[in-house]
Order: sequence, then structure tokens, then C-alpha cells
Amino acid sequence: MTKETILSVRDLRVTFDTNDGPVEAVRGIDLEVRAGETIAVVGESGSGKSQATMAMMGLLAKNGQASGQALYRGQDLIGMPEKQLNRIRGARITMIFQEPMTSLDPLYRIGDQLAEPLRYHRGLSRKAARPRILELLKLVGIPDPERRIDSYPYELSGGQRQRVMIAMALANEPDILIADEPTTALDVTIQAQILDLLADLQKRLGMAVVFITHDLGIVRRFADRVYVMRSGEVVETGATERLFSAPEHPYTRMLLDAEPEGTKPPPGETARELIRADHVKVKFLIHKPWFGPAEYLTAVDDVSLTLRQGQTIGIVGESGSGKSTLGRALLRLMDCDGRIAYLGKELPRDRQVMRPKRRELQLVFQDPFGSLSPRMTVGRIITEGLLIHEPELPAKERDRRAQQALKEVGLDPAMRNRYPHEFSGGQRQRIAIARTMILKPRVIVLDEPTSALDRSVQKQIVALLRDLQAENGLSYLFISHDMAVVRAVSDYVIVMKGGKIVEQGDTAQVFDSPRESYTKALMAAALSQERFGSHSRARQS
Amino acid sequence: MTDVDPTMPAQQYTTVAGRSLWQDAWLRLRRNRAAVASALVLLLFTLAGIFGPMISPHPYDKIYPQFVRVAPSLEAYPRADTILPGLERELARARLAASGEPEISGNDVVVDFTAQRPTDERVLRYFQRSDLFGNPKIELAEDGLSGRLTLSVTRNYFLLGTDNLGRDMMTRIFIGVRMSLAIGLLASAMALVLGVSYGAVSGYLGGRVDNVMMRLVDILYSLPFIFFVILMLVFFGRSIFIIFIAIGATEWLDMARIVRGQTLSLKRQEFVQAAEALGATRRGIITRHIIPNALGPVIVFVTLLVPKAILLESLLSFLGLGVQDPLTSLGLLISEGAQNMRGASWQLVWPAATLTVILFALNFLGDGLRDSLDPKDR
Repeated sequence: MTKETILSVRDLRVTFDTNDGPVEAVRGIDLEVRAGETIAVVGESGSGKSQATMAMMGLLAKNGQASGQALYRGQDLIGMPEKQLNRIRGARITMIFQEPMTSLDPLYRIGDQLAEPLRYHRGLSRKAARPRILELLKLVGIPDPERRIDSYPYELSGGQRQRVMIAMALANEPDILIADEPTTALDVTIQAQILDLLADLQKRLGMAVVFITHDLGIVRRFADRVYVMRSGEVVETGATERLFSAPEHPYTRMLLDAEPEGTKPPPGETARELIRADHVKVKFLIHKPWFGPAEYLTAVDDVSLTLRQGQTIGIVGESGSGKSTLGRALLRLMDCDGRIAYLGKELPRDRQVMRPKRRELQLVFQDPFGSLSPRMTVGRIITEGLLIHEPELPAKERDRRAQQALKEVGLDPAMRNRYPHEFSGGQRQRIAIARTMILKPRVIVLDEPTSALDRSVQKQIVALLRDLQAENGLSYLFISHDMAVVRAVSDYVIVMKGGKIVEQGDTAQVFDSPRESYTKALMAAALSQERFGSHSRARQS
Repeated sequence: MTDVDPTMPAQQYTTVAGRSLWQDAWLRLRRNRAAVASALVLLLFTLAGIFGPMISPHPYDKIYPQFVRVAPSLEAYPRADTILPGLERELARARLAASGEPEISGNDVVVDFTAQRPTDERVLRYFQRSDLFGNPKIELAEDGLSGRLTLSVTRNYFLLGTDNLGRDMMTRIFIGVRMSLAIGLLASAMALVLGVSYGAVSGYLGGRVDNVMMRLVDILYSLPFIFFVILMLVFFGRSIFIIFIAIGATEWLDMARIVRGQTLSLKRQEFVQAAEALGATRRGIITRHIIPNALGPVIVFVTLLVPKAILLESLLSFLGLGVQDPLTSLGLLISEGAQNMRGASWQLVWPAATLTVILFALNFLGDGLRDSLDPKDR
């Protein structure tokens, strides 16, 4: 490949002025983008990969300072006056972001938002832009573009919104498309579609694509060259094949085998039955007219399951499949029809009567940033359950138990006076787990406990969960869309779609010989399927 | 990612005592210099409001008819240049004539006099009647035609001047600070307690309860404030306490709405759901999770509420529904001062400056409090 280099970054540094003095987010990286190629910048959160591109696009936060050089066709982007920069960004270099839900302005129609880059950079009128917009919407595969052009963002699904974002980025036929975690917020099957679309568009339009991601599956499938970043520095770079087959830097190696591994043996036939749910049904009221029947959305439809002592049931499915709702309904955090028995006795529906039982039935949330109250110290967060279930416990004893629980999840007990925002994502999830463990529960519903975390941290959390299970004989209900993690932790898998169970069985059986096409689609879409031994979907270009 | 190594040996763990949000807030507040200075200023004003009128040599309602609208001064009143003409006037009235220069020493004036007709001690009554002099003594010569008169002069200090009736401004400002701070703080405290708990309960319970509770607020909103106050004064009789309640009872409505709005967004947060999953009671969730997290806007609103209550009180007083003469408040003092701005600017300047300083301090303190209650802001 002897294509010309269109973007070359030399010694790029980004420094943030904070109250604790300057913080170097990017410490002198070199990077090259050649015409028409795909590169990937890989790293865990906090490695500075996003900040580096933000600096190039002049989008740093106010307290950020960039230095170094970023030559785009001979023009230095760093320190370029805003007016001049605006002629390049949005036209020659464009970006798509992680969160399609918030990158579109909810008050503008899709067509108007798409018209913006055209009107700004090409001076097209609203009317003149319309055919081009329709063409773009067709290009990114939005169904029924004539109608969608006048829709508002809320009328589109997450995947469609991301397609609109891509269309917006492509509007002016850029040289370089920077995709900052473009699929992280999407479902696995949608992820695959969006990535295929990007690969396809790249082939057709011949632009360079810069993927910023932490997902090695994407990297392996799409990138020509990879830059591995760690704490603001590029630690390794090279062609994708070489990097994956023979990683040099220990950090790259660590990233590569950060895939969760191991399997879990089933607990045995004689294990005690803890939870038995029969024909659970959850309905949400959508609309209640003054006359006539009310409209309902059935989120969980006739689901039955049995959870034994020491068992881990993995529940997989796309978002909207009702898996989280099921988890909550099983803990009586949500009204439902059907019977839910715990240790052979029906769980009471009354809040007051249910309260003492909550001690044994716990829940861990997906988002370690949202599930901890920002105004409580970690110590108080952890001991809240004790305050509720053992109010007579003296403060000293509570404090002692908090220390013990923190040690149990591998955190320093001295940290309990700190606030949640001072911790990293993985540490917060450990805190959330400590909060449930302090009550010595028997069943924990884990609602996507690892999906907001980096791969290597995921692996640690999975190991922690496994240790805790072995030590305390816990039973887990593991809700996730991440097939790799589910495979590693659970001994029984339930696949859900549209509120119904479409397939269930022992983990090995479901993963090795899925019966339903939906299950197969889920497996195929899980991008890092290399770890399942099939290379059927190797790089397409 | 700086995740802690789970294999870390237990010996490295150090023991630290647990701390609560308020202890932390206090530690952070102490580091904020502007807030600490403001707190000291407010403390000073509070002490002045409480003890100032007791220490001051002038009762707040004492009228000095001879010192109407005197300007602020570090010198004592009456001044030497008013004593001598006054003395002359009294002497003339008593048909005496000074035979030498009067001597002023400390609080005494000594003057030698001559009289055209023999005189006796009855002349003293002229001096007893005077506003200027007190405790007159007379030494007469044998013929009664001359003698020496010793008069004591009460020297008064009016550091901040006097008002139209001749009352000491400083003492009145002390009383004003006492009333205004009491009304501002008590009414705000009432609005705070009522509004926060009402709003949090309404927002958290939601549904029909929320609907009923908020419609009640709407109904109360639609009552005109003045009408409400008059109604209360008619029912319960006039007292300062009723003013606190009247202001507090109208101001909590805004607070309830603000807190309800906060609660509605907070209760969707996962940490609230997590507490529910732990089995926390509704009361526990509201007090441990909802209210602490809603405190930021609440505190900002309270710092706006205190001045608002102070101003509302002066409106009521102006209408004759609030504090009545001779008691006073800063708002009342300012409105009186504004009427006399031309001839006696000090009547406006000093109470206004006092109110400004108090409001400044309150705002700084409120800002500091808000920052210190937010653990993210370090």
C-alpha cells in the first residue's frame, strides 16, 4: 500500500488544567492516516484515545490545551483559527459519536439536521439539499427515506439514529471519518449491521476511517492498522494481523486475553430449589382511553424458570427483550401476574411484608455510575442495607462490617470515606457488589453488571463474582447481552426475545448447537466470535 | 484504569473512621474563605441584633426632641457651639447675665452671672425645664445680685445620627437587624422544612397522591399574598409570630415545586432503585437519597428566599400590617430613610448598607454551602 498520507500527527499532547494541577491526557502520540485505509485506536477508558481526536478537531473542553502537530494535507489543525478549522471539520474530516440518542437535536426533523452540513459547507438551500439528503438516507439504509426525512429523532430506533449520524458525517464526502465508539451503545445485532454498513460505505466511497474503540472484535474485523493506547501514550502499533498474532507489548497481550474465560459446572440435580417462577407476565399500561379497553405492552410474556442453590442462569437477548424487566419482577420490584415462589413459599406482593425478604434477594445494576448515590460516602452506601435490616446494630459494628465487605471485594477499606465519583468504573461495580454482599444474600440478580466496563475490568469482575459464588454458595441470575461473559459465568442459559423465552438449556448446548435462528443470529452478531472457535466472519475487505 | 489489585495483602489496609455528608461538608466549608468570612459577618450581625440594643446607651424608642435629625458624628451631642447659645438663651430667660466666659469641663458647665435684681434659687427652674441642662446648682453672693451657676450637660453620642423623631439610628438599626434576620431566617426555615418535605413526598409517591398534593399547592398559589396575610392577622391577632408564619406559609410553595421537580428526576435514578431493592422504606429513601441529592438547588433557593422574606416583611410593615413603631425593621428604616434622603442621607445610607452587607454575606454563605455539599466539587 503506497497511498498518500493525508493526516499525520506528530507529538500530540493534551493537557487539562484541573484543581489538582495539570493532567496530561495525551502524552505525545504519533499517528498516520493514509487515504482509504481503516485504522483503529484501541485502549481502555481513560487511555486518552478520544481526547486525542477531540484535540485534532478543536473540540477540547475549555480547560484543555493541545500542543504538537496534526497535519491534514499540509495544514496544521492544532492551533488553527476556528473559522479555517470549520472549513475542514464537518466537510473533510467528520465524526460520529458513541451516543446516538443524544447526538441528534430532539427538536429538529431528521431532514433539517442532515441539511445543516450541506447548507453550511456547500451553501445549498433547504430545497436544493433535499434530493441529496434522500440519497444519503438511502445510502445508509434507512427504510422509507421519503417519510423518515420528516421524522423527529424520537421516532427512530437507536440503530437508525446512528445511521442518520453516519449519513450526516458522509454528507460532504469526507476524506476521513472518525468513529468514536460508534456501536458501544447499540445492541449486538444492530452493532453488526452498523459495522457492515461502515465497511461497505468505505469500500464504495474510498474514505479513510479511524475507529476509536475498546472492542477488539471490531478491530480485528475491520482495521488495517492498529494503534494501542495506554495512559496517553501509544504503546504498540502495527498491522492488524501482526498485532493479533504476535503482540509485542505486554499491555496489548493483556488486552487480547482479557476475554472472560472458563466455564461453570452446573450445581447438580440435588441442589436446593431457591426460586421457582411460573407463568410470569408483566404488562405496562400504554394508554387508557376514557371508554373502551386499555392498551398494554407485554414486556414479559409467560416466563417460567427455576433457580437452584449455586446455579447461575444467564439471560440473554437484545434490549427490549424483557430480560431486565423479568429480573425485577422476580424480585417483586415490579407488579406481575403469575406465581413466584422463594424456598417453596410464594413471595408476598405487599411491600411491607416483602421487605425482610429483600435481604436474601439482591440486585446489582448495570451502570456503576448511576447506581451509587453521589452524595453518600462509600461506607454509608455499603452499610445502607444493614441500616434497614439490622437497625439495632451499633455504628461501630456497621463500620467493621463495611470494612470486611470492602476487603471481600478487593478494595481498600480506608476508601470508605470517599465518594463514588472518585472511583473508576470497575471499582464502583465492586462497591455495588459489596453493598449486596454485606447482607449475605442467597440470590443476586445481576443486571448487565459488566457491560459498562472495559474488557480487562470485566474479567476481574467476572472472577470476583465467581469467587463470591464459590465461597458463599450464591445463586445468580445473570442478565447480559454479552455472549462471551454469559458463556463464562453461567451453567444454564435462557434466550429471550420480545418477552418470551425462545430457547433455553445448558450453556454448552445452547452455545455449541443453538436451535433457534434468533439464537444463531445473536451468536453471529457477537463480534468477538473468534473466541467461540469459528472464523466464519473474518475480515470482509 | 487504576483498578485495585484484588490480591492486595490485607495488612496494607489502614483504619480510618467513617464520616457523614455533613461532616464532610463542614470540612469543605471551612476551606472556603469567602463563606467563612460571610458566616462571621452574619454572626456579628446576629450578636449585634441580640445584644446591641441592650448595650446601647439609648433605648430604641427614646425620643430626644432636641436632637432631631442630627448627623452622624464621633463627637458628643450637644456640641460646644450649641451649649453656649443654649446657655445664653436660658440665662436671658432667667433674666441673668453672664459675667465671664462659661467654663465647660467634662459634663459640667460653670458660669458666673450677675443679676439686675436680687435673685434666689427659684431661677433654677428655668434650667430644670431645659432639654440641654440638668441638675443645676447655684451659689449666690450675699446680695443675690451675682453668683455662680453649675449645670450638668448630658453628652450623648449618636454615631449614626438620629431620625426624624430624634431617636438614635444605631440602636434602631440593631433592632432592625434583629427583626429582619429573625423574619428572614425563621420564615425561610419554615419554607425550607415544609417545602422540602412536602415536595419530596409528593414527588416520590407520585401518582394520585402527587396530583392531590400539587393541586393543593396550586390552590394556595392562587390566594393573593396580602389577602392571605390580612386573613391570618384577623384570625389570630397581630403579632410578629404571625408575620413569620404568613411569609413562610407563602414561600414554601415555590420550594415544594422545586423539590418535587428534582425528586421526579431523582427517583428514576438507579441508586434510588438500588435502595428499593435493598428493602429501604419510603421514608428512608426520601431522607437518605432524595433530599441530600436535591440539596444543591434548594440551598441556592434558600439564599434567594431570605432576602425575599426580608423585603416582604418591609412591604407588610409599609402597609401597616407588619412591624409597628416604635419597633422597626431594616425594610421600614430604609423606606423612612428614602423619604428623608435629601436632608438626612444617613437615615438611608446606614440601614441600606447594613441590609446590603447582610444579603451579600448570605449569598456568599449560600454559595459556599452549595459547593461544600457537592462532593464532586473539591
